[in-house]
Amino acid sequence: MTVARVLFVDDEEGFLELYRSAFGREGYTVETAATMDEARARLARGGVDLVVLDIRLGESSGLELLREIKAADARLPVVLSTAYARYQDDFSSWLADAYIVKSSDLGELKRAVARCLETTS
Amino acid sequence: MARFRAPVRVEHGRHLRERGPALRALRPRRVLDLLRRVGELLETVVEPEIAGWSVLVAFTAGEGLGLNRAFLLLAEGKLLRGWFGVGPRNREEARQVWSEIRSTGAAPLVRLAEPDRSVIEAEQRRHASTLASLSHAMSTECGMWRRAFIARGNHPNPCVRHWTAVLDSRELVVVPLMASGQPWGVVLADNFVTHAPIHRSTLEAAETLAHYLRSALERTQLLQEYQRERRRRLAADHATALLETARTLAHDLKNPLAIAGGIARELLAAPPPDAETLARRLGIVAAGVSRAEQRVGELVDGLANRADGIVLEPVDVGAVAGRVVEAFRPLAISRNVRLLCYHPSRPVLAAATKTSIERCLENLVANGLQALVGACGEIHVAVREEAPWVRLEVADNGQALPGALRSDPFAGGVTTRRGGSGLGLASVRTLAEAMGGRVEYDEREPGWVRFTVVVRRWS
Repeated sequence: MTVARVLFVDDEEGFLELYRSAFGREGYTVETAATMDEARARLARGGVDLVVLDIRLGESSGLELLREIKAADARLPVVLSTAYARYQDDFSSWLADAYIVKSSDLGELKRAVARCLETTS
Repeated sequence: MARFRAPVRVEHGRHLRERGPALRALRPRRVLDLLRRVGELLETVVEPEIAGWSVLVAFTAGEGLGLNRAFLLLAEGKLLRGWFGVGPRNREEARQVWSEIRSTGAAPLVRLAEPDRSVIEAEQRRHASTLASLSHAMSTECGMWRRAFIARGNHPNPCVRHWTAVLDSRELVVVPLMASGQPWGVVLADNFVTHAPIHRSTLEAAETLAHYLRSALERTQLLQEYQRERRRRLAADHATALLETARTLAHDLKNPLAIAGGIARELLAAPPPDAETLARRLGIVAAGVSRAEQRVGELVDGLANRADGIVLEPVDVGAVAGRVVEAFRPLAISRNVRLLCYHPSRPVLAAATKTSIERCLENLVANGLQALVGACGEIHVAVREEAPWVRLEVADNGQALPGALRSDPFAGGVTTRRGGSGLGLASVRTLAEAMGGRVEYDEREPGWVRFTVVVRRWS
């Protein structure tokens, strides 16, 4: 069984550190990007199985990157992870495979990642 | 001066003198004086109900046109709907009301300057069923009306026949109000109790008053629509600002806390193998908590210092009071009003905006001057510190506050000489509250009316 490669995109280095630790322990190959450009560059190289994407990326919107990802490969699962629940009202967020409100408890995010990977495998 | 005697009628075999509001010939000078008084009054009215009531009272008051009763119908689609009525409903009520007016010497036109909302509402309720009965679909002939006329029961227009029937009116004054060639409304009036003849001069004055009313109603309705729109916009702006604040709080507060909590959980679940990783992760936790703490502090400061978009700053209220009082002094002198200002010699700093404090004080001093029209009174402006507040008081020994204003003088919309359009005091409240302060009113000191703006002391 191949190890799933998950790309976490978030402008908060603290979250990226948390994801590296928590998802690394779960057996995932964790890659991180702090900006949209870093994320685009990593996605262009291929091999990513799932993207966990923050919506508010500094001055940029993760929803824009979501549209780009889905336009390039509609099958690549994307989990939106944000501090603000009401982005769910934004039509653009409906393209995502899951929508998670950030929390110190990563249980829901871990379950969403596992579910999306299972669906696409 | 020529005077009409009330007509003597024979009813049920006995002579009966019906004495309505004093019937006088409408001399041009008296008509002009009436029109001037009502016109001036309507300029300050901001509510349609008060405009309607004021003009219909002018139709029916003894010192007005002296008609027994009057009604206003407004066009709504193809319907002329009864909207307001003034006067007795029947002969018995007429005797009672006019007798009261005679015995108390009340002058309805004088009372127009201090409209009593409860009286107006009671009048609306009293005539509700008659107004409902008067409502009638417009006929095509209604669009042909141009001038006021006197109608009888056999009038060819079905609307007019309906109104004369509902009112059981022998002679009905019909004052059509047109806008862009279409009926806008109609004023009906008659002498259903006294049956006093209606003269041409009365008809002409009635027509002019009715046009004043139309203009006042259009203006007040526009003003109300503007105020509703303004409230809608403010609500929308506030909602947008709240949503943006929620987004920012979610990002700036929840994120660092989620990071700190998440890393702490990780440290518990899987302690790092080396001290360096432990130190780095503890550093992230500490940084997250510090960031959240800082943002909470900023938020608290922001909420305390900002209200309705106003950024508060230290304002020397004493200095502002001194300047405003000096600006008003020439006007006060011209009106024989003593204008005094008391404030500590040292600066009295309030968390406020200079323009808002100035505007509050200007409105309150202007209000005091209006209360002292024709009287040689005094206005005292005082600035006091009462930790943690700064009090800006404006007291005058002019006329007492009208009853309609006493329950909430800062509510706005009630018109009287004191308070001008009714918006001056209301804007004082708005400005004070926008600065995180409040307004107060008292008449504790006999003969004095005091308004106070209370704002937080700058610290």
